[in-house]
Amino acid sequence: MDVLQVVEILVFPGLTFFVWLAFVFDWLDRKTAARMQGRVGPLVAGPHGILQPVADFFKLTTKEEIVPEYSDKLVFEWGPPLFFAAPAVGTIFIPVISLSAIISNPYDLLFILFVLAFSTLMAAMLGYASAGRYSTIAIGRLVVQYTGFEVPLIISIVTPAILAKSLSIEGIVGAQSGYWFVFIAPISFGVFIIAALAELEKAPFDIPSAKTEIVAGWMTEFSGEALAYIKLTKNLSYVFLSALGASLFLGGSNGPILTHIPILQDLLFSSYFLVKLFAVGFLIFAIRTALARIRIEQATRVFWTILTPLSLLQLSIVIALR
Amino acid sequence: MSALTKWSRKRSIWVFHVNAASCNGCDIEILAALTPRYDAERLGVQLVGSPRHADVLLVTGTVNGMTKDVLKRVYEQMPEPKLVVAVGACALGGGVMKGCYNVGHGIDKVIPVNLFIPGCPPRPEAILYGILKLVGEEPKGKVVVSDKVEKQSDVVTREEVEPPVGQ
Repeated sequence: MDVLQVVEILVFPGLTFFVWLAFVFDWLDRKTAARMQGRVGPLVAGPHGILQPVADFFKLTTKEEIVPEYSDKLVFEWGPPLFFAAPAVGTIFIPVISLSAIISNPYDLLFILFVLAFSTLMAAMLGYASAGRYSTIAIGRLVVQYTGFEVPLIISIVTPAILAKSLSIEGIVGAQSGYWFVFIAPISFGVFIIAALAELEKAPFDIPSAKTEIVAGWMTEFSGEALAYIKLTKNLSYVFLSALGASLFLGGSNGPILTHIPILQDLLFSSYFLVKLFAVGFLIFAIRTALARIRIEQATRVFWTILTPLSLLQLSIVIALR
Repeated sequence: MSALTKWSRKRSIWVFHVNAASCNGCDIEILAALTPRYDAERLGVQLVGSPRHADVLLVTGTVNGMTKDVLKRVYEQMPEPKLVVAVGACALGGGVMKGCYNVGHGIDKVIPVNLFIPGCPPRPEAILYGILKLVGEEPKGKVVVSDKVEKQSDVVTREEVEPPVGQ
């Protein structure tokens, strides 16, 4: 591993770039929701309020951190950095400035699935460690929801891998030079977006963090720096899942115009990626603003009886076409 | 305190709202401050569900025996630095219930209060103005207060509040 690769991992297009994108996503999310509700949204912090998530983050880091008496101190204090690590590691496998990712191996899609599962596991551990009543209820809901959305999510992620005959994101992005996989597997894309909403705990699947029912879900007992990192992680997961959707179904950094001038090519690749990333992001913002929360058993029914068969149908069509 | 800390605390105000035996009048006005017409979110104000996430405790109503302990516990659950805002005439000193045997006479008898917003109920502009004052931001633009509202606001001010009867 040389110096350039370390810089790529830590600065661009690695961690720093994606954390910046996470702040932008939070701002866009709040701004889109506000505009759809006829409000203005964040306005005062920075131009058009773009620094609002930054202000929230720094304010939380300067606040007192309360550790509840009956909490599991080890997990409560060391869990948030681990929770942050999950999507932060996952983003390294997404190609941004070229058709190849910073780190790539033939089986990194399996690692991505592990990252997605680990993220939910860490959320469950954090919730249980805080030993609050609302956290415990929320984790019960989260785990039930997880059993629902995990199967359709995995099947819809595997579909483009079968189309591209590759288990690496790099290979899947490279295979979409002619056409995007969303045109061949539209149902998979839809299922992926819905499962991503559930993974991100956004409406209509914000059941584990339902504000009007269980205070703030499994985040209820967290304050100060831990809360800052949890909020940042949730936004980073937002970016990570949108980037995954853009890479698997919309071709990621692959685009129509390719040149051989090095810098221009990098700019083109990253602009293709960003346009697709924000397109998927806006789809999620719009859905989560427009829809209301459903109950936990309705969510489970939707996932098990509608989305799982649909994703299996799409998978069998893709295998038959291959 | 660094400039970044100062700036971020000024721009990000997370509010936890407690209804301590209020008639819902002030609560409706607080709700109105979050709706499209006033939209407190543009100033970075967010209503949060958990006292652990909050910076500002917004209390309405004349605190009575039932809500006194709850209010104290909620205040103690909040992380430092924390600020308390009393909204409405009842929270200031009892309001129309002033002198009754079964109600408290102001939030500041129970927890320390940083800012009082008078009115029965105060207008949403007044609440936003108060929150901006609280974080040390000088509100820009004109604050429109009609004569009627000014009269209402004068019903109870801090100077007029007398020691509660029978205590």
